[in-house]
Formats: sequence, structure tokens, C-alpha cells
Amino acid sequence: MLRLAYLYRNLTRNPMRALLTCAAVALPIAIYVLSMSVVDGVNRFLDNSARQLRLAVTHRSSIINPLPAGYRAKIESLDPTRTRLLSVCGIDWIGGKIEGDPRPLSTLGADHDTFVQTFPEYRLTPEEIAEWNRDRRAIIVGAAAARQFGWKVGDRITILPSLPPYQPMEFRVISTAPRAEDPLTLWFHRQYLVEARKQAGWEEERVGFYFIKCASQADLDHFRVAIDELFANTPDETKTQDEKAFMNEFITQQFNLPRNLTILAAVTVFVAVMAAANTMSMNFRDRLNELATLKAMGFRGTLISAIIQAESLFLCAVGGLLGAAGPYVAFNHTPLRDFTVPLIQQLDVRAATCGKAMLMAVGISVLAALWPAWLAARMNVVAALRSLE
Amino acid sequence: MALPISYNWRNLFVRKLSTALTFIVVTVVVFVLAVLLSFAEGIRASLSSSGSRANILVLKPGSTAEGTSIIIPEEYARLSQTPGVARGPDGRPLISRELYVQTSIPRRGPDAAPANVAVRGVEDTAFAVHDEVRLIEGRLFEPGALEVIVGRAARDRYRNLELGGQIALGRLGNRTCRVVGVFEARGGAFESEIWAPLTLLFDAYARRFVSSVALRLGDPARADQAVAYVNGPAVNLEARLETDYYRELSAKTREIVVLTTILVGIMGVGAAFAVANTMYAAVDGRRREIAMLRTIGFPRSSIMAAFVVESLLICTAACAAGLGLSLLVNGSRQDFLSEATWTVLAYELRVTPRTLIAALATAGCVGLAGAMAPALRAARTGVIDALRKA
Repeated sequence: MLRLAYLYRNLTRNPMRALLTCAAVALPIAIYVLSMSVVDGVNRFLDNSARQLRLAVTHRSSIINPLPAGYRAKIESLDPTRTRLLSVCGIDWIGGKIEGDPRPLSTLGADHDTFVQTFPEYRLTPEEIAEWNRDRRAIIVGAAAARQFGWKVGDRITILPSLPPYQPMEFRVISTAPRAEDPLTLWFHRQYLVEARKQAGWEEERVGFYFIKCASQADLDHFRVAIDELFANTPDETKTQDEKAFMNEFITQQFNLPRNLTILAAVTVFVAVMAAANTMSMNFRDRLNELATLKAMGFRGTLISAIIQAESLFLCAVGGLLGAAGPYVAFNHTPLRDFTVPLIQQLDVRAATCGKAMLMAVGISVLAALWPAWLAARMNVVAALRSLE
Repeated sequence: MALPISYNWRNLFVRKLSTALTFIVVTVVVFVLAVLLSFAEGIRASLSSSGSRANILVLKPGSTAEGTSIIIPEEYARLSQTPGVARGPDGRPLISRELYVQTSIPRRGPDAAPANVAVRGVEDTAFAVHDEVRLIEGRLFEPGALEVIVGRAARDRYRNLELGGQIALGRLGNRTCRVVGVFEARGGAFESEIWAPLTLLFDAYARRFVSSVALRLGDPARADQAVAYVNGPAVNLEARLETDYYRELSAKTREIVVLTTILVGIMGVGAAFAVANTMYAAVDGRRREIAMLRTIGFPRSSIMAAFVVESLLICTAACAAGLGLSLLVNGSRQDFLSEATWTVLAYELRVTPRTLIAALATAGCVGLAGAMAPALRAARTGVIDALRKA
């Protein structure tokens, strides 16, 4: 009890210092939370890709070269019973914009008959699936995109594609995919695009890339090789990789966000350690006399170290709590919720990330108090009592 | 009457550890600021020196970049009447048809992840239209041979693009081309590209259309007229100044600057708290000394100034150290995948005067904000009380 009282007194005897230290720890922790939220978001996105057991088949030389439309049937023929290779979905990227709005869209046309089976993580309701199959102009818009542009189910929207046919295409929103992992992508019927292209005079039908849903990891590994072998020595050779590798290629080219943000997070934690260590060393210096007296009275060095550590722990924990709670509240309960991170996701600040940040704060407190605590334990009482005032 | 600087300087060494820790905190903040800004500065430097005011770039309406634009021969033919187009010495109009494709090439160094590098198919007129392109090594490709030239930035950043290196192009990846020359383009975006003869790419990629057309104008002041003609019903394509096109691509840098401002803003406030903490300790530790100074006649303002100067000394030194550290990354090559073109722009990280000003301003603000409250407390020190206290 007495020790707790002493700890409390220590914390409150210089309230300004305690406050400043908490703040100086809280702000770097807030940055840590923000950066790690992005990194975790990317990883969750990639983990989802890996979990879905999908393969991406692109043209071997570059993704910009489309593949023949007949490849779907050829790939399907690898497993006619459809037990190991569950579905093949041809996909075409048209990017796109809304007239008069500079924000770019990520719009993809997909084979409508296999989309639902290939992308089960969209968890469309039976009604939505019925709508999707019924309406050739159906479009599924990601939840974040729907919020940004104010779209609701049933809205008619017009998108200007960045690729042929270069003419406005009209769609009807049938779902805002509230449960999807990827809240930014828009999906529509590829057949609609093919028809629009034909009408505008673009004859040849080709497909940007294929996504293939496999039944198991073993099947995935099997078909990854089998598909490339199937098309070897043809005019359009393929490059088949699992979805995670496919996505990762884009992500690492975007400033290598995961790696660079991790570095940034580490740097800010370092700043917090320095700030907290500064306080602890100042405290130690101010109380040298007192600590020496305690020791002279018979308190053990380990106890004095523990008191210093406890004080550091308390300051950093409060700082960490504030630093983690700030972004958590801001990005879950304010308009900042709609903030989007390029290519990936909306910024989803999760409790787990904040928990990690709290652990970081504890680590910071231990590091910050290390040197003063060690000095206190090793203190030469006589010299310390003599040294100051 | 002000206190001498040497008084501040020597005070910094009374609490060595505190001073050092504060110094490190501010150094790191300045370092992070400088590195983040160097990304934006590098991209901006590269894109702002791209293109020419005398050129207009023609794309398909609706397409967002060269990579997604398709201009078929009939459309191209309609451009030949564009008013104000300059003529070359041989009397031909300076209109450059260009095909923009991309290929995947691994980066140099341990990070061998592949990057989408742009490949531009050009004709002879391209070198008259894009007159900033200059060979610095080797020679131009020969017509009909499987030869390419590469930009300086691309050569530095990607594998096998040095003189004599070989890369596989074409839809089948079966046209093995040799690098016969290296060019520069005032540090602009072309330097991240591979240039090949247009006919070679037509054949290799089985294409019969081009991506974009660049027109050289005789008089840049009359660009509006040419742009209006191309956008109008006679041609019905989309023209813009080449420089505008690259300015739009550099929108990315604004994102980086915004992100940097937020991150460094938060860190800066944190650092200001750390500085304030140190300065409070300095004030508290020197109460008697301050009272003494007041007794021998130094006014409150001098006492206040002394602490502000002390804090600024730490922060300026830290600013210099942070900038010094950031020079380590200055000039290193990075690249980023543009969301508009889906190709990479290789650029150099740059620590520029603008970065310097931003760093100084940040360090100055941190120093001032951190010192104000403690300095006020110092100035308000009650002389008698402070002197009396043992």
C-alpha cells in the first residue's frame, strides 16, 4: 500500500512533466496505430486472397496483353467434372470514371455465370444473386465506393470506361457488398462490355485475365503448373500465380507501402522511447538524494528499480492508451471512417492493432526506465548523498 | 540586455543526457520529414521536367493515360491538318505517332521484384518532337534491327538495361532486343522508359493502332487553337498540352505531401512536448540561478529569451543533423507504379531547398512551441522566494 502511495506521489509531484510525457508517448503511438492499421489492412487483404484458393492467369509477357476468350473453355477442360477446379471467371479491367468527377474507379467486368462461385467472399444474398443473373446491366459496388459516391441499391449509374468502347455505359446497382473484403472494386457483366464493344466497332473479343477457384491447396498447386503447361508454345502463353502473389505485385510497386510504413512505425516507437527515457532520467536526477536516502534506510535496490519501472510503466500506459484510443475512435466513429488508402482499403483501425500498440507502450516503458533503474540499483549511497545540495 | 549565447551553449551540457535525448527526438522528426518529402520532391522534379510546352499530346477521349488509349489509323490521318504544326528540315510536319506498351522487368539489387516498365514505339519524328531526348551513350537503333534505347533512370533501376543488355519484348516475349543506346530527357518521365522502333512494336505486339500522338507546334502561344481543332468535330480526339498531362500524373505527390504533413504534424507536436519537458526541467533546475540573474539586473525578457534560444539551439542542431542524415537517401533511385499509366516512374529521392525550408520551419516551430511555456515560467520566477529556498 505504502509503495503504491509513494508511486502515486511520485507521479503527481510534477504534474506538468507527467502530462507532457504522456502526450509525447501518445502521439508517436497514434502514428504507430495508423501505420500498422494500413499494414494490417494490406495483410488481411492478402490473407483473404490466399484463403480463397484462387489462381490468377495473365498473359505471360504482361498483364496489358489480353488473352483469347476461348481460354476459359480450355482451362475448364482440365477438369470436366468440376470437382478440383471449381470455376473459371474471365475478367476485364475498364478503370473508369463518373462524368465530371476526377476520382478514378476500379471497375471490372466478370463472367456473370461464374462470378458468384469464384468470389464467395462477397456473400451475396439469394435475392442479390437473382438480380445479378437477371439484369445484364447489374453492377456490384464496393461498400467504400458506394459511400464515396453516394450510391444505393437500385441507383442507375453511368460510367465512362478508360478502355474501349470509350463510351458511357449505364449500370444498375444491385448490391453494395457490405461484407466483402475489398470495398473499392465494382463488378459488372463482362458480356455487357463485349456487346458494347461490338456496337462501337471493336470486333475481337479478348479477356484481360482469368481467376480460377480451386477446391483445395493441392489442386491450386497442381493447376498453377498445369495451366501454364496447357498453353505453352501457343501464341498466347500464360503466367499463372496464386492470387496473393498476383496482388502483391501491385502492392509492392505502390511505394512498397507495407515495408515502408513498418519502418516508419519503428521510427516513431523509437521517438517515444527517447521521450520517455528523457523523463525518467530527469526524474532520477531530481530524486537522486531521496533515492539514496531510501537505500540508506534499508530499502533494497531492486525495490527502488521496481518503483522507477512502475512509474515509467504507468506514464507510458496512459500515453499508449490515449494514443491508441484516439485513432480508434476517430476512424471508427467519425466521418474519417471514409478515408481511403490508395489501391487497398479504407483505413480500418482495429482493436487488435490498438492492443499491439498498448503492448508497444509497455515495451517503451521498460526501455525508457532501463538506464535509471539500473543506476538506482547500483547506486553508491554515500557518493549519492554527498553529491547534491 | 541579452544573455550571451555562450551561457545557453554551456547550459546545454549541464544535463547532457536530457539534451541528447531531446536532440535525438527532434532529429528523427526532421529526418522523417525530409525523407517523406524527398519522395514527393523526386516525383515532382521528374514530372515537372517532363514534356514540352510546345507539344500537344493527343489521346482517345475517355482514356486516362497513354497506356489505355487507342488511336486507329483513320483517326490519326485526321490529325495531319492540325493548324500550327511545325515542320522539320525535310518539310514533313512534326507529328509523332507513338505506341505505348509495357513489359515486366526485375529491379536491380536484392529487391528483385518485377516492375512494369513502359516501352514506347517511336518513329524518327519523335526525336524532333521530343527534342529534350538526347543520347548520352551508344547510338540510336537501326531501322529493322531488334534494337532499343533506354532512359537513364530505367537503366539505373532495372536489370539488363545497360548498354549491350538484352530484353525480351513482344506479345510472346520472343523478340530479344539489344540495348544499343542510353538517353536522357532533362530528368523527365521519358527517362523511365524503353524506346523502340514503332514498326518493331507493331510487329511484336500484333497491333495496328497507336496509343498517342504528339504534335510539335511552331508557336506554343497558339496551342489553344490546335487543341480546339483536335477536340472539335473535325478530329474528335482529346488533346492537351504535354506539360498538363504530366502535371496531372503528379497528383500523386499531393497525396504524399498531405500524408507527410499529417504524420510529421503529429510527430512534431509530440516532439514539442518532449522539448517542453526538457525545458521545464532546465527551468526548475536553475531557479536560483535565474533569481540571481534577475537580481544583478537582467530583465524578464532576457531570461525568457535565454530559454527560447536554448531550445532553438537544440532544435536547429537537430534540424541540421536530421537533414544531414536525409542526405544519405538523397539521389537513391526509387520507383512507383502510377495508377493512371500502370507503368513505373523511376525517380531520384531529392532533398531540395523546399525540404530545407520545411525542415527548418518544423524544427523552429517545435523549438518555439516547446520553449514558450517553460520560458514564461522562468520569467515569472519570484526572486526572493527562489533565493531563499535552500
